[in-house]
Amino acid sequence: MNNSSIVAELSNIVGDRYVSDEPEIQFLYHYDFITAEPEGKCDVVIMPGTAEEVQEIVKFANNHKIPVVPWVSGINFGSIATPRKGGIVVDLRRMNRVVEVNEDDMYAVVEGGITWADFVGYLNKHHPNFRTGVTFSPPGTGVVPSCLAYGMWDLGMIGGTGAEFTNGLEVVLGSGELVRVGSCSMSNKWYGRQPLPDLAGLFIGWEGTTGIVTKASIKIWPRLPYREDIVILAQTVDQGVLLLLKLAKAGLGIVDIIFVNMGWCQGMQGFNEKSVAINPVELGIPDFVGLVTTQAYTEGQNKAQCEAMEEICNEFNIKPQTAKSFLESFPSNMRGAFVDIFPGFGGYTPVQAWGCWNFSRGGGGEWIGSYCSTSDIARYYNIAREITLKYDKPPQFYSRIMFGGHYCVARANICFNKNDPEDIKKARKILKEIFDAVHELDGVIMYKPPLWVVEHHKNKTLPTTNELIKKVKKLLDPNNIMNPGQGIEGD
Amino acid sequence: MKFLNDKGITQMTNIPDIEKLDRNKDLDYYKDIFYQCGKCGTCRNAFHENGWPRVCPSGEFGKFEAYYLGGKNLLTWAVSSDRLKWTKNLANIFYQCSVCLACAQQCQIPEIHYYAGEWLMAMREKAVQKGLGPMPEQKKYSEHVGLEYNPYMEKHENRANWVPSHIKQSQDAKLAYFVGCTTSYREQDIAINTAEILNSLQVDFKILKDEHCCGSPVYMTGQTEQAKMIAKTNLDIFKNEGIEKIITSCAGCYRMLKETYPKKFELEHGIEVLHLPEFILEKLNSSEVKFENNLNMKITYHDPCHIGRHMGIYEPPREVLKNIPGIELIEMPRNKQNAWCCGSGGGVRSAFKELSSFAANERIEEAKETTAEALVSCCPFCLNQFKTNIKDDSIKTYDLSELINKTIKR
Repeated sequence: MNNSSIVAELSNIVGDRYVSDEPEIQFLYHYDFITAEPEGKCDVVIMPGTAEEVQEIVKFANNHKIPVVPWVSGINFGSIATPRKGGIVVDLRRMNRVVEVNEDDMYAVVEGGITWADFVGYLNKHHPNFRTGVTFSPPGTGVVPSCLAYGMWDLGMIGGTGAEFTNGLEVVLGSGELVRVGSCSMSNKWYGRQPLPDLAGLFIGWEGTTGIVTKASIKIWPRLPYREDIVILAQTVDQGVLLLLKLAKAGLGIVDIIFVNMGWCQGMQGFNEKSVAINPVELGIPDFVGLVTTQAYTEGQNKAQCEAMEEICNEFNIKPQTAKSFLESFPSNMRGAFVDIFPGFGGYTPVQAWGCWNFSRGGGGEWIGSYCSTSDIARYYNIAREITLKYDKPPQFYSRIMFGGHYCVARANICFNKNDPEDIKKARKILKEIFDAVHELDGVIMYKPPLWVVEHHKNKTLPTTNELIKKVKKLLDPNNIMNPGQGIEGD
Repeated sequence: MKFLNDKGITQMTNIPDIEKLDRNKDLDYYKDIFYQCGKCGTCRNAFHENGWPRVCPSGEFGKFEAYYLGGKNLLTWAVSSDRLKWTKNLANIFYQCSVCLACAQQCQIPEIHYYAGEWLMAMREKAVQKGLGPMPEQKKYSEHVGLEYNPYMEKHENRANWVPSHIKQSQDAKLAYFVGCTTSYREQDIAINTAEILNSLQVDFKILKDEHCCGSPVYMTGQTEQAKMIAKTNLDIFKNEGIEKIITSCAGCYRMLKETYPKKFELEHGIEVLHLPEFILEKLNSSEVKFENNLNMKITYHDPCHIGRHMGIYEPPREVLKNIPGIELIEMPRNKQNAWCCGSGGGVRSAFKELSSFAANERIEEAKETTAEALVSCCPFCLNQFKTNIKDDSIKTYDLSELINKTIKR
């Protein structure tokens, strides 16, 4: 079928104004406009408004064996929503409603296309005593894709990744059938995945290759009256990480622990990478900036948490400070996006933390972002740092301690000029080199992996597991129309 | 503090490395800025306001990414770097926008935040150079501006027909009331109210014998050269009439005379230009006017884009309103820097009627939700847009000049 025939058919489902094959509209779906990954090809884009419309679209695509790519914002640092085999991009942005908030069981049912801004905005306005975890991705990015791709957020110490905060899903399969997984499959309650077979795993971590999620139930959390944001500076990452891991395992009611290196910190502040020292460690500038967030119900509890943290920091000869006093120690024109992160400073997430893709003022950034063992964070950083410095780039690194310290996220970032093919080439080379080196560490597994990493994952995975993945994919998407060329089973 | 207390969209103050560029330049000048956009979507919601309300009429109506600032930034990059060709459809996308700049206000990449308005206009200029702009309806009214000096298909000779006999003017006055086309032909009550206010304040003023369109509807649709010619003609008229100061009741005229003539067209005129509320506030502050009559009304105020985000005038109209006895001002959730556009500017009302009505109705509903009795603005174009789109008597709409006149009238 040619594009015009596809457009004509799809118009019958959603109406003319929500389907397009115009080059100016297509262009914005060809790329992930942040990464250094190659462009894809969107033939037709459609914006359904309901799950039923999504079903009709997928059935049509299935009949004609046309690729279908689920899409919300298309930016994810891995280009995983970039159409690799052409076809129909299903842009879910019209499905951006909060369907239900259940304060008793603390979850919100949202549609598949909701953005962080819309979700956070809704909760703030209508359920101010509750909050969702929020990623450091920009306000216009998708909540559900983030959960499905193991995105992580500022409640990571409590409950792990967004995937672990996901109670249940409503999904249109590659065949066009609509299924529900979790408690919602047999009741109107979306409180969890227990005690049923955990079918959510058929859609989590598959990068949209097994179905299009039209609804998801996301755990929300009480907004307690006391919150403390503590900044911990250490001279080196090795030193700081040990302290953070001790804090993580001290049972202090910590909801979030992250750290960034000085390069990332400078990006967040709004520096241009060309105007800062490429290797601040040589100048004696602390390379480790940790951020620990606690919540408490009473003032006394809050005080006790802070005292315990201080005591642990003392063991490392480090003096913690509040985020507010940390920021106030900076000149006001060097506070950047930090002012938007800390409630104590009048801000709250999500924020446009553009320093991680525009540190070089070239609009491009990509990371080797992995889940790994907490014992490997410092090694991961030091490997990435050395490689980055070798290419005269300032190292940028970010890590989050997850789920009480059971595992962590480590991300080494490279910024580049996306208008300069040579710089893109260089960025790819650095990223590849970092990837090859950190994957020598056992247990390092990249998330939101771009195509070239997927192949590597396959080679590393047990053959029997690969076979199982293949069978599952075949079952859910018999004609291989769902986001083909992406995900663990991508060809 | 998010924004400086300065004019229009202002430089961010919390970022160390901001590239200092000039405004009012052509597309090529900004070629290394617009691709810094990651299409992250921050431009869609009021940044850090309760409820994160949506702010972009063009995007909310058009839905596709192309209609939001992120899409426009990257389409600008695409045509500037030969990734995409100029087409009629591309021009159409850029014209389907009121250039209200609510999007740029939200973006936190400092250079995009501060300069995006420049390339949104430069893309229109480029579309005109390529023969793809303006839109047919805009072309038609622009031709009429060339013939009869107004975009309303009206005769120039009827421009001052609104002037009632009781209005006192002084032909020696150095202060002119620049009425503007919308007020002269469509919202004449604003003109009468303004003139009566000036008379009540015993201000020596005159209406220009030969007032022409300020050029805003021509300029805003990318026809920069034609608009510049209009500006030159107007400046000759001001000079011949010995004008040293201008008061206008129109947001669009104000922006043109005060900002676009000197900064974009480089036509320095040295004339002091005041928007009516600014002028009234001066008089209030110097106790030259007293508001006496109690209007006993609950109102909400709509910030016109051309004096708000374009020029930074948020407080003077509010200060004036606060001084009117019996006025209770209830703010809409989207106000000041984050105000939702009424949908009439940038040539949208003439060329994209559905988008225009969508924007107006969204604003009217927001006003109604405040429980205010009236939606007040200080721009004839906004007023006319609200009047056209309010279909019942659930809310009234006024120009601020009417309320001022009522409260001072003896």
